[in-house]
Parts: sequence; structure tokens; C-alpha cells
Amino acid sequence: MNGFELIRGQTNNLLIEINGYINCLHLTPCPYTRNMLLTLLRQKISFLSFLNNLQYSLGVRQPDILPQQTFTVEQLSKYDGKNGQPAYIAVNGLVYDVTNSAAWAAATHFGLSAGRDLTREFLNCHQEQQQILNSLPVIGRLVQ
Amino acid sequence: MKISECPVNKLGVSAAQKLIDRVVAEARKGRLKKRNLVWLEATGCSGNIISLLNGSNPDFRYFIRDMVNLVYNNSLMASEGEAAFEHLVRVSTADFILAVEGAVATKDKGLYNVIGNWKGKPVTAIDAVRWLGERAAHVIAVGACATHGGPSAAKPNPSQSVSVQSVLKRKVIKLPGCPCHPDWFLGTLAHLLLYGQPLLDEFDRPLMFYGTLIHDLCPRRSFFEKGIFAEKLGEKTCMFKLGCRGPVTRVDCPVRQWNDYVNWPIGDDTPCIGCAQFGFPDAMEPFISYDIT
Repeated sequence: MNGFELIRGQTNNLLIEINGYINCLHLTPCPYTRNMLLTLLRQKISFLSFLNNLQYSLGVRQPDILPQQTFTVEQLSKYDGKNGQPAYIAVNGLVYDVTNSAAWAAATHFGLSAGRDLTREFLNCHQEQQQILNSLPVIGRLVQ
Repeated sequence: MKISECPVNKLGVSAAQKLIDRVVAEARKGRLKKRNLVWLEATGCSGNIISLLNGSNPDFRYFIRDMVNLVYNNSLMASEGEAAFEHLVRVSTADFILAVEGAVATKDKGLYNVIGNWKGKPVTAIDAVRWLGERAAHVIAVGACATHGGPSAAKPNPSQSVSVQSVLKRKVIKLPGCPCHPDWFLGTLAHLLLYGQPLLDEFDRPLMFYGTLIHDLCPRRSFFEKGIFAEKLGEKTCMFKLGCRGPVTRVDCPVRQWNDYVNWPIGDDTPCIGCAQFGFPDAMEPFISYDIT
């Protein structure tokens, strides 16, 4: 395991812990428990910041090279997640695989179906939330 | 460890009860005055008041005896007609908390939903919600229809129903769910009585109940992570491929459960249909799919 993988593993663990503390924070009516949880959260955030700096000192990794596969809108429409086909969607010219994305149960998401260019819909609901797309595997590019 | 033994989950389940116990203790010491509650029913199915009657921790009797003066509810009050409506008129100038279940029908000036008569004239739900909504100390929208239109506003929405928030220019606490769990309402009400408005998320839902995704607390989460998916109803694995909406629905059903904390949809091998998510039912369809990869 190299340095990057170690940092990534540690970061993921920290995020899970932070999520857990936030859940507790929502649930507890007791102000003392809340203060303790906030202190713990601060500790975790400072560790996260340490890991972030460490990653920069090791040099930022180059982004993965994008796959060369291209899709037209018509080709994309076949990948609707039904009858053995995977579920793909396009946003801002990139095609993403949502077959196993938790928010895309039965290849549908808030009334939207897979196999379509959803750039407009994405911007309507998730503007400035690029991290959502970063977590999805990129399959190719959408062409005219 | 069973999910019910997790200290975080235990804390969540008991949060409503702790708050309600505190309300009663403070009221008995004379430090807390019982406040008036108006429960208005607009365009809906009465499902939320029925759900509240099914509350067990505390039960309904405890709620009306020890927590609030329930001034008006059309399903439960003894008075009827204009005599019942008089209670509303009287409380409108006093201090009261307003709970609304059901959406607000707007077509033809709201005439699709007349909730009563006053001085011989019909009173529509839209008029009542505006009139009381502007005067109440707090407004709580209870259930899917009141919070975002819900089934009443589902396509083709013949009565042009909208949420309570759409007709009121003020903060409305939203408790989505079809129906709303008794604890979500009673816990929120108890918090209002004790400390005022609870912490809300960006959609005005109380974080103590709507803070976590169903998917995050789901006892079948490990099946999702391992890619073991149910192909038909009745299988005891992850129902993601059948169309489970747990990953987009933010509420505490997995730990709180329903009907005296006995069970919930996933526990009975049917997918979550996202009834506590905004946009239900249209945005949560299809409820079940069988030909998914």
C-alpha cells in the first residue's frame, strides 16, 4: 500500500466517524453531550486537515485519463438499466455509470430514468455539487 | 450487535419520549403552561391524525391530557358545524400552535376543499390555512400532503393542490411522511413547548428525526455493499434493484419502526417507497421494478 492509499483509507475512516458524530449530534437533546461531540468533531477535522496537507507534501496525483468511448444520445438511450443493460447517464458531456449508485434504485432517480443526458436536471438540483459526479465511474463522452 | 442495541440508535428512538417526559414534568411543577393546539385538516385522507391516534409512547390520551389543549380537530371533536368552527374563531386571537395535515387545494379559489361554514358561508382550506397560519405561534405541516403536496398534488392534480408553505410567507416546520410517525410529531411539539423551534435542516425538517438516510441505518446495508440484491419481494437481501428508495429518503424508520415500534417495510421484505421524501409519490415511482440489471 502506497502513501496515497494510506491517506485515502484514513480519510474515509475519518469521514465515517465525522458522519457518526453528526448523527449523534442530531439525536441528542442534552447540551453537555452536544459540547463533547463538537469537541470530538473539531479533533477529527484537525486530523483531516493534517492528512490534506500531507497529501500535498507528497505531490498531488494526476487525474485518471478519461476513457475514449463515445456515445450519441441515441446510443446512450439503450443503457437504461433494464433487461440486462447497465444504467448510464450523461452530465456536462461525460457519461457516468449509475448501475450500482445507491440513489439510482431501479435505474430511476426522483422520476428521472437512466439512458439520458441529464445535464439540465443535474444543474437544477445539484449545482456546485461536483463531488456527486466525482464518486461515479466515468464510462465515456457524449458526442453529437 | 443488533441495530436496536446500538447506543446511537437507542438515543434516537428515545429522544421524543425524553422530550415529552420533560414537558409533563415541567407542566406539573407549574413551570410550563399548556398551550393551545389547532389541528387543521385540509386536502388529504386523515391519515396523519389516525397515525397520531396510534401513538404509544406517549399515547394520544397522554398527549391531550398532559401536553396541550387540543382546541380543534374535525375528526375528533364533539362539536359540529358552526359550533365547532366557533372554537377556531375564539382561539384565533389567543396563543396557539397550528398543525396542518393535507395539502391546500387552490383551484377555483380553493372551493375543492371546504372545511366548514361560518355565518352561513363556506370556508375553504386555503382561507383557513392563511387566516390561522398568519396568527399562529408556530406552524407545523404534518405528513406528505401538507409538506410538499404529496398524493393530493400527484399528477394530474385535479384540485391544483400545493403545500402549506406555498400559501404562507413564514417559517413552516415540515414533517414529511405518509403518514407522519406519531413520535415525529409529538417530539417536535414537545421541543416547541420546552425550548422553541428544534434544529431544522435546509428543508425545515427537524434534524433529530430527519437527520440520517434510511440507507445509512438499514439492517440490510451489508448486502448492498456486497452487491447481493433481491430479485423478487420476500427475499431477505437488499432491495435496491427492486427500486428501494431508502438511499434517497432521510428519516429514522429503520430504528424507530412503526405500529408500536414493531416493524417497518424493509423488515417485512418490501422496499421503502420514499414516503417521507419530498416529491412522493410521483418522484419516488416506480415503487417496484423487476427487469433491472
